[in-house]
Amino acid sequence: MAARSYSRLRSLGASLRLAVLSFLADPQWLIPSMIAPVIFGLVSYMLFQGTSPTLVLYAILGAGMMSMWGQTLYGSGWATGQDRNLGTLEPTLSAPTPYLYVVLGRVIWNTVSGLLGGAIVFAVVGIAYGRPLPLANPLEFVLLFIFVILSLAAVGIVFSAAYVYTRYAGFIQNIGEFAFYVGTGCMFPIVLLPFWSNPVSLLFPPTWALDALRILAIPGYHGLAWGFWGDLIGAVATTVAYLAIAGTVFSRVEKHVLEVGNLSDW
Amino acid sequence: MSPSAAIRTHGIRRSYAARKGFLFNEIVRTDALKGVDLEVNSGEIFGLLGPNGAGKTTLTKILSTLLLPTEGHAEVLGLDVVKDAPRLRPRIGLVLGGERGLYNRVSARENLRYFADLYGVPTAERAGRITEVLDRVGLTESADRRVEEFSRGMKQKLHIARGILHRPELLFLDEPTIGLDPKSARETRKLVRSLVADGVTIFLTTHYMFEAEELCQRIAVLTRGRIVANDTVQGLSRLVGGDRTLEVEGYGFDDAEVEVLRRLPGVSRLKYEEFGPRIRYTLRVRTSELTPPTVQASLPGHRELAIRERRTSLEDIYLDLVEEEAA
Ligand SMILES: Nc1ncnc2c1ncn2[C@@H]1O[C@H](COP(=O)(O)OP(=O)(O)O)[C@@H](O)[C@H]1O
Ligand SMILES: [Mg+2]
Repeated sequence: MAARSYSRLRSLGASLRLAVLSFLADPQWLIPSMIAPVIFGLVSYMLFQGTSPTLVLYAILGAGMMSMWGQTLYGSGWATGQDRNLGTLEPTLSAPTPYLYVVLGRVIWNTVSGLLGGAIVFAVVGIAYGRPLPLANPLEFVLLFIFVILSLAAVGIVFSAAYVYTRYAGFIQNIGEFAFYVGTGCMFPIVLLPFWSNPVSLLFPPTWALDALRILAIPGYHGLAWGFWGDLIGAVATTVAYLAIAGTVFSRVEKHVLEVGNLSDW
Repeated sequence: MSPSAAIRTHGIRRSYAARKGFLFNEIVRTDALKGVDLEVNSGEIFGLLGPNGAGKTTLTKILSTLLLPTEGHAEVLGLDVVKDAPRLRPRIGLVLGGERGLYNRVSARENLRYFADLYGVPTAERAGRITEVLDRVGLTESADRRVEEFSRGMKQKLHIARGILHRPELLFLDEPTIGLDPKSARETRKLVRSLVADGVTIFLTTHYMFEAEELCQRIAVLTRGRIVANDTVQGLSRLVGGDRTLEVEGYGFDDAEVEVLRRLPGVSRLKYEEFGPRIRYTLRVRTSELTPPTVQASLPGHRELAIRERRTSLEDIYLDLVEEEAA
């Protein structure tokens, strides 16, 4: 089976390469992925200028992250939707490698560009502030930040299956996007949400990971009852669960589309 | 299954359920294939000929593992298209063609490289193969240009290059010349012919009889999901028999005159066509008595008629087959 893993790895690499090349080929994408974080960083600085540095940090970690993390969470789904629009979904699915590996390649790129966006925001706010933001645990923060992005990517993979499934995925996503940001606590901590919604939020890895991130970065923040380590365990467990089901979801979806015959719809 | 059969299908049916209406609550079923039995030999160019909506693309996709049959089964290169799809995919090539289906923002070479990786073309051979297929389809000069700058004909060439990149034993070409200008279409046909020289079996669909006649050893006519003829080009030509074809062209035929034409001795079919104000009736004739002068004599009131006899073509036979099925 070494040959098989090798060919899957090659597909992953090819898809990563194509994602980067497509990005470089069309500089308009610089706007959402690189310039938006700069603008966002400046806006949050201006809004919270004069308040405590903690509040600025809170603001960045909150609503602002949404714009960058959207890149990671929806990037892979969007790329699959793009495959539908371009008509490349059919030739790609008729190739011997499972489509999941193509998606994984794009997820890697989206993760990297999401991280880049995050780094830009911090840099911009830091420059505006005149000194680096006061992070309580910088190293742990960076590591956890990377993990948050990965946990979003894991959800993104499953989302992208929806784009293989139907051309209406974009429509469903637009409705679901806001609910997702609120539900996972991207916008504000979920402890502020009605109690009944919490169990639903906990189905998504970013909920746990983000809460842990806030505990780490913001002194005095009270998160979910089980505290930092509980958050971390939950985040890892849910991320692993998403990655594990992604394989199954994809092979089911690939079979479904061959039955329905909607691969060429767009 | 005969040892040389590259494709064999048994009772393939396929229906689609499309959701329509407000709230998508109305389900419209289309029976695209209604029991198709076919056999394609290794090393031949097999033509599947049929009008729009006949089910050509549906059958092509089923045979190339992109669509599951609703009923029936098919073996391609000895493998079941449903159960053995993963083993079959690396051995076949599929060209659906058209404006779409390519990554427009990157170059032709990058498109090919991507698919070479997906198809597991050995890394050491990759660059060489890409150069080779680009040369083969005549895209060497444009290899590093973005696909979005390509003309329709160039895109079609790139589609074909992608189809043969991994050296498939069997290539599916779905309407390879549709939408091409005559020159590109001719080049594409030439390319298709050159492929069989390498021993590749080709399954080609088209809605032009002349194309099937020019390229294919054997032709199956598909209309409304059924095969209505399946023969060699010579076999199909025999259907022409001793039939003669007369064309009667003029302006403003009235019903009585049309009836006269229909009742002329030996007329087996009458086809009506309009060219602006000009009208043409094509008569299929089974006897040798009827000639342009006798036709003219039967319509004494009609002066400006142009009547001529022409060769009965396979195209005429094809139209008969397709129309009979429709009737
Ligand atoms: N995805 C689909 N959903 C619903 N109906 C379809 C779909 N694809 C094809 N059809 C219908 O099936 C019939 C055969 O289509 P197709 O195989 O594309 O024919 P051809 O390629 O010969 O033009 C047509 O009536 C077409 O409208
Ligand atoms: Mg078609």
